[in-house]
Amino acid sequence: MRDAYDAVIIGAGHNGLTLGAYLARSGLEVVVLERRHEEGGGLATEELTLPGFLHNVHANYHTFVDMAPPVKDLEVRTHGVTYIRPEVQMASVFDDETALVVYNDLDKTCESISRFSAEDADTFRRLYLEAHGYVDLLLGTLMYQPPMSVKELTKALASFGIEDRSEFLGVKLRRETINWFLDKHFTNPKVKAHLAFHAAICGYVNDLPGLAIGFPLLIGKIDNWHLCVGGSHRLAHGLWRDLARHGGVMISDAEVSSIAIDSGRAVGVTLSDGTQISARKLVASTVDVEQTFLEMLGETDIDADLRGKVKNDIRHQKWSLFSVHLALAELPAYKAASFEPDVDRAWVVNLGYGSPEELNVDFEAIRRGRLPGLAKPNAAVNSLYDPTDAPPGKYTGLLRQFAPYSLNGRGPAAWDEIGRWYASQCIQAWSNFAPNINEKSILDWVPYSPADIPSKIRNMVDGDWMMGEVSLDNMLDRRPLPELGQYRTPIKGLYLAGSTQHPHGFITFAPAYNALQVIAEDLNLDKWWNVI
Amino acid sequence: MPDIYTDEWYEAVKDAINESAGKLADLPEGSFIVAIEISADGLSPYVDTLTGLRRFVVKIERGTCSWYKEVFSKDEEYDMAPGGVNYRFIGPARAFDEIAGGLLDPVDAALKGVIRVRGDMRFLMRHAENVKVLLEAYTRLVQTNWPLGKPPYLDKTPNEVANA
Repeated sequence: MRDAYDAVIIGAGHNGLTLGAYLARSGLEVVVLERRHEEGGGLATEELTLPGFLHNVHANYHTFVDMAPPVKDLEVRTHGVTYIRPEVQMASVFDDETALVVYNDLDKTCESISRFSAEDADTFRRLYLEAHGYVDLLLGTLMYQPPMSVKELTKALASFGIEDRSEFLGVKLRRETINWFLDKHFTNPKVKAHLAFHAAICGYVNDLPGLAIGFPLLIGKIDNWHLCVGGSHRLAHGLWRDLARHGGVMISDAEVSSIAIDSGRAVGVTLSDGTQISARKLVASTVDVEQTFLEMLGETDIDADLRGKVKNDIRHQKWSLFSVHLALAELPAYKAASFEPDVDRAWVVNLGYGSPEELNVDFEAIRRGRLPGLAKPNAAVNSLYDPTDAPPGKYTGLLRQFAPYSLNGRGPAAWDEIGRWYASQCIQAWSNFAPNINEKSILDWVPYSPADIPSKIRNMVDGDWMMGEVSLDNMLDRRPLPELGQYRTPIKGLYLAGSTQHPHGFITFAPAYNALQVIAEDLNLDKWWNVI
Repeated sequence: MPDIYTDEWYEAVKDAINESAGKLADLPEGSFIVAIEISADGLSPYVDTLTGLRRFVVKIERGTCSWYKEVFSKDEEYDMAPGGVNYRFIGPARAFDEIAGGLLDPVDAALKGVIRVRGDMRFLMRHAENVKVLLEAYTRLVQTNWPLGKPPYLDKTPNEVANA
C-alpha cells in the first residue's frame, strides 16, 4: 500500500468498485478501501449451508445489468461475469392452488394473467408496452444522471403534455400510492397482488403515497430480472478485475476510522490500525451517511446543523428482510403446477399474497415492529437456471420474508431468540405450497435475520438493504438530505457515491456513475465514457 | 417547396428554427451539437437500404441553428464535432419522415421508444418549453416536397417502397 493516491474510495461494494474503475481508467491512482475481508458489499456469495452450495447473502436479483452504462463502459462481461435472464421470471402461487406467472415473453405473461382476468391482461399489455417505450428514456433521464428536483421534473412532464400522451404516466402519480394505481387500472385481486408484490421486492411498498410515480417503470422492467452465474459475487470480482487492470488497488480488511480534513478539504483517511493514506484529489465515501459524517468526520469538520440532520433526519426503510438459505436435494414441486405447470420453473415465487390488502396489513404490522400474521415469504431457486451454484443434482433455495428490524419493542437482538423458529415458519409456508419441500429434501438451512444484515454490511443501517427509505421525500435530489443530494458535500474533495444517494440501493451502479459525472466536472476529467 | 433531406430542405428547416428563436425564453448559454441517425427500414424511400443510414449533424447556439450538414461516416461526424456531440437521435427512416411530415409527434416518438435519444436529458427537461418550440419549427413550419412518395406509406409494401 502506498501512502498517497489521487482518489481514496471508502467501501468496495459495487458502487465503490465502479467509481474506482472509472477513475482508474481516467488515469487516476485509485485505492478502494474495504472494511470486510473481501470486495463486494451486498454482492456477497457464500457457502452458508453446505460445501458447494453458493448462496447470495444479499443481492440476488440484478435488474439493470443490460441498462446500466457501467456494464458496457467497464467491459464487465469480459471479466468473467455472465448473466442469465430466466425464461420464467417470477410467479405467485395462491391459496386456491392457482398460479400467475411472469415470463420473459409478454404474450405468455398476458396469457397467464388472462386466466385471472382478460381485462387485466389487456391492461397489463398496454402498460408494459407503454412503459417499455419510455423505460430507456426515463432511466437515462432519472437514473443515470445526477437528479433533478421533483418540481423540475413535474414541470417538464407538464410542459411535454405527458398526461395527454400517456395512459398511465401522470403528474398526479407523485401523490398516489401503488395501491391507488392498481385499483385505478386493474380489477383482479390476485393480479394486483402479484404486481404489488413485485414492487415490494424492488423496495417500493404499495401503500406509501408518491411511489405510484415509479410504478410504470417497475412494470417496464418486470421481466428483466437477471441472475449472475456462479453467484452475485462474480460481479464484484469482475469490477475489481477492471479496477486492477487499470492500475487501481482494492485493499480489504482496511477499515477507515476517520477522514482527514485540511482547510475545509478532504485530504486523506486514517485506517483503524493507524495507517494514514493521503488523497491528492478526492475522497469518496460509499458507506452510510451516518458513518461518514458522524464517525469518520470530526465534530468541527461540518456545521452543527448538518450534523444534526444526519443524526436525526436520515430516513431508513421501516422494514427489512428475513432470509432463509437452503440446500435442497429436490426442486420444489408446487401444488399449483396442476393449474400452471410453468410455476415449477419460476425463478422467484410469491408464496401466498393474494391481494394488495394482505400486503397492506403485513406492512402495517411490520412498521409497528411486529411479525406478519402468517409467514408469506418469496422463494427463489437460482439452481433452476444456474446449476453451477450447487453440487450436481442439488439446488440452492432462498426464502425472503418482509420483516421488521426491531422486533416487538425489544430491538434487533430479539431475532437471536426467534430466528430459527421463524425460519421454520417460512419453510413451512413454502412446504404448504410445495409439499416436497420437507425434512427429506432439505439438506440444510440457515436463517439470516434483519439483525444479521448490518452485522455483516454496516452500511445497511437498521437492516435497511436500500440504504435509505424509498419514498417521495427521500428521492431524487432530496436523498439522503437536500444538502447532500448531488453527490458533493460541504467539504471540498469529499463525495458521496454509495446507495445512500439517488437513486437508491439495488445493483444499479447509478450512485457511482452519477457521482462520477460530478467528480469529472470538478476535476475537469475527460468524459471518455460519455460518447453519445 | 424543397425536397425532403436536400440541402434546400435543411436550409428551410434552419430558417424555420431561427425564425422561432424569438419565441424562446431563458435561453441557456453555450451551444450544443445534435446528431441525427436515420436508419433504413425498408419503408422509407429516402434512406438507401444498401447504405443503410443517413447521418446529419446540426449545431444549435442560443436557440438558433448555426449550421447543419449531412455526413457520411462517423469520422466525418467527428470532423464536424471534434469535441463530440451533445445529443443523438436515432430511429428508423419512416419515423423521421413522419415527424418531418407532421404526422408523428416527436415527443410521442421518444416516449414510445420509436426514436431513441442520447445525451443529457436533464437539459432537455429543464428547457422543455424551448425544446417544444424547436420541434414545432422542425415539424410544422417547413413545406416539404416528397418526390419518392409521402409517409406513412400505407399503400406500399416495403418491397415496393424499396424499388420505387
